[in-house]
Amino acid sequence: MDSESIGVAGKYGGWAGQILWVDLSRQKVVPKPLDEELALNYLGGTGFAARWLFDLVGPEVDPFSPDNVFILATGVLTGTIFPQASRHIVAAKSPLTDVYGEAHAAGHFGAELKFAGFDAVVVTGRSDKPVYIYIEDGKAEIKDASHLWGRTTYEAEEIIKEEIGDRQVKAALIGQAGENLVRFAGVFNDHGRAAARAGIGAVMGSKRLKAIAARGYRPIKVARPDEFYETMIEYGKRMLAHPFTPDRVKYGTNSLVELMQAIGRLPAYNHREGVFDEWEKISGERVTREYLLKPKADFACYQRCGRFVRVPSGKYAMVGKGPEYEGLDALGANVGNSDLEALIYANHLCNLYGMDVISAGGVIAWAMECWENGLLTKEDTGGLELEWGDPELIVQLIEMIALRKGFGDLLAEGVYRAAKKIGRGTEKYAMHVKKMEIAAQDGRAQKSMGLAHATSNRGADHLYAFPVLDEVGFEKDIVERFGEQYLPEMTDRLNPKYKGIMVAELEDFGAVVEAVGVCKYGTIIPPVFFYPDLAEALTLVTGKKYTEADLRLIGARIVNLQRLFNVREGLTRKDDTLPGRFTKEPMPRGPAKGQVVELDQMLDEYYQYRNWDVKTGIPRKSLLSELGLEKEAEELERRGIRIPP
Amino acid sequence: MAQMMLLITPELCTGCRLCEGACSFHHYRVIQPSRSRITVVKFEDRGLDVPVTCLQCDDAPCVAACPTSALWKDEESGLVVYEAERCIGCKSCITACPFGGVGWDAETNSILKCDWCGGDPQCARICPTGAIKWVRADQADDTKRRMVALRMQEVAQNLMAPKRAGV
Repeated sequence: MDSESIGVAGKYGGWAGQILWVDLSRQKVVPKPLDEELALNYLGGTGFAARWLFDLVGPEVDPFSPDNVFILATGVLTGTIFPQASRHIVAAKSPLTDVYGEAHAAGHFGAELKFAGFDAVVVTGRSDKPVYIYIEDGKAEIKDASHLWGRTTYEAEEIIKEEIGDRQVKAALIGQAGENLVRFAGVFNDHGRAAARAGIGAVMGSKRLKAIAARGYRPIKVARPDEFYETMIEYGKRMLAHPFTPDRVKYGTNSLVELMQAIGRLPAYNHREGVFDEWEKISGERVTREYLLKPKADFACYQRCGRFVRVPSGKYAMVGKGPEYEGLDALGANVGNSDLEALIYANHLCNLYGMDVISAGGVIAWAMECWENGLLTKEDTGGLELEWGDPELIVQLIEMIALRKGFGDLLAEGVYRAAKKIGRGTEKYAMHVKKMEIAAQDGRAQKSMGLAHATSNRGADHLYAFPVLDEVGFEKDIVERFGEQYLPEMTDRLNPKYKGIMVAELEDFGAVVEAVGVCKYGTIIPPVFFYPDLAEALTLVTGKKYTEADLRLIGARIVNLQRLFNVREGLTRKDDTLPGRFTKEPMPRGPAKGQVVELDQMLDEYYQYRNWDVKTGIPRKSLLSELGLEKEAEELERRGIRIPP
Repeated sequence: MAQMMLLITPELCTGCRLCEGACSFHHYRVIQPSRSRITVVKFEDRGLDVPVTCLQCDDAPCVAACPTSALWKDEESGLVVYEAERCIGCKSCITACPFGGVGWDAETNSILKCDWCGGDPQCARICPTGAIKWVRADQADDTKRRMVALRMQEVAQNLMAPKRAGV
């Protein structure tokens, strides 16, 4: 079937109009038309993932069973020339969190998948032998990947290009970490672009799916071409004119090391502290000055935050994608490491083996703090001494985790499972929310971020809501986006008041951003494009009139549907929490000294603003019917879950 | 009027491919990089991004190779003009071009060759890095010198800057 000119693609611009359904147990690929209601009401990306995971994956499904569903989805704007419209998402029930799992990446793969005629790929079942899926112009085939198994993400991508005989082929792949079911393995594309969180790469590994490769010669159509093109040129100019853009080009996200040190929000020593005395050795300024070869852009990207770096010589010599802020903290400050070359190399290994730097650094930090406190011994570690900041050890552990060798086998389970297995009080040092390792922020130094970590449907995550406007400045943008009535408290990063509102609003907006396939850089920070701009772009691209109110509804619908998935798995308010370190241990020093996260106060405000039950954190029936989610509420009730009126 | 040219500086290209999107959009009103007349050649393992398109040669091998005069040099503007009506689709131009500046459009059975968008090349208009610039041919050297000079200044400043304490 070819729906290039019929169905959704015939009626609207933007969408490719086809979904590729793959059953690896039966080795079948079936292209099906994209459902119109789904397209219009969920837009793509995270919206499609929320819909399909809710519909197809219930509480009885183990993340590593053939019944789990692996989703790779683009957004309606992916591959258009909207600034930074390069994004795709991957999703499944997470083997790390056991609940709704999702990760996002930029690069050129998402756009290529649309040029190849598909908005998304949905994979069920499990193959007997390693395979990859090759997609070209509306058609797909399952190909043998035995020779790719055991290869790094970089190597396998090159081999696929070589054997297809087309250097323009793009691929999303797993490395050894995904093959070995490391619970925080990611899905990588375009040499070091990472959809890394929540272990979706391990789900690919469990299905013995090494890669999805695509090459496309088809167009992405636009409903109102003249207005669309000139509007996009103007959007590009706005992007380039923002004062943040030159800094982004020069340092990527790495200038955050300096900025976060300045506000005491640079996690160090397993989140014990918020400042790192040796921060200058791992600063963005140093990465750029000594190692950066060039900034790298993803499809239609004006900001070029990708770092192509080189360590010219020595035991850590490498050429490839360099660390970004999260990597600099996770494999630097948070494990007490200031050896930048080792850090860059460890980060590079994570890209090659295909695993999340945040979680990898998180488990190593946990192990080091347990070692410091005598809770882990040489008997546990196989003779390793886990001293803070030992660069050789960090590099060695990354490899041991990816290959599940020795002590690495335990760490590959993530902090929650590792601590549970060891016991002896090591749970206290497991820095996770909903079993996912906490990213490089500290809610004690920025209250909104503490709340965001706690409420995110995919576990401890900064990007789900991405509340960053209260970090420093941006008062004007806070007024524009949320209203003057919340000043001055909302702009004060240490004040918990109104942060529930900010986080709820940004979760909804973030869901729209991830559904249309654009980047949170340019929409959330720097705050260039907001609802009205996305509504305008969507109207011009699709030909269907979208308003700000429509998009707000869609954003809330997606977040609530993801929430319902988690409620069905048994999650409630008690799971929207933080480790005691953040709520009970005052920040020991630095600009945020003495602070804790006032989590309960913020949660109350957040649930009230969302119209969720304050006691249980479950969305109310009245809200769910506004969002068109009555059937979902009924399904939960049939399973014996009480949905508050 | 002075002749113009597309000045391409690969070391400034970061590989966003907005030029491919804009080129296909200008000519076909869709986003379709496979039909763009400019392509960013990428070597991801080496981090290279090189925009490649027709250079509008003075003594153009494609013009010499074309058996039906579908390609000819417009001496005034400097553009190598393509007349699709005369083209027999022999692809000799693709073979003859030393740069890979000519492509084949399977949808229309004609060649893909830069036409400067009729005088306002959209690749140069949209390029966010300055890797593609639309400049007077007799001033291109000066444009290039200035870009290089700015980079040299930056390098010099980096070399002279005092290193941060402890680093």
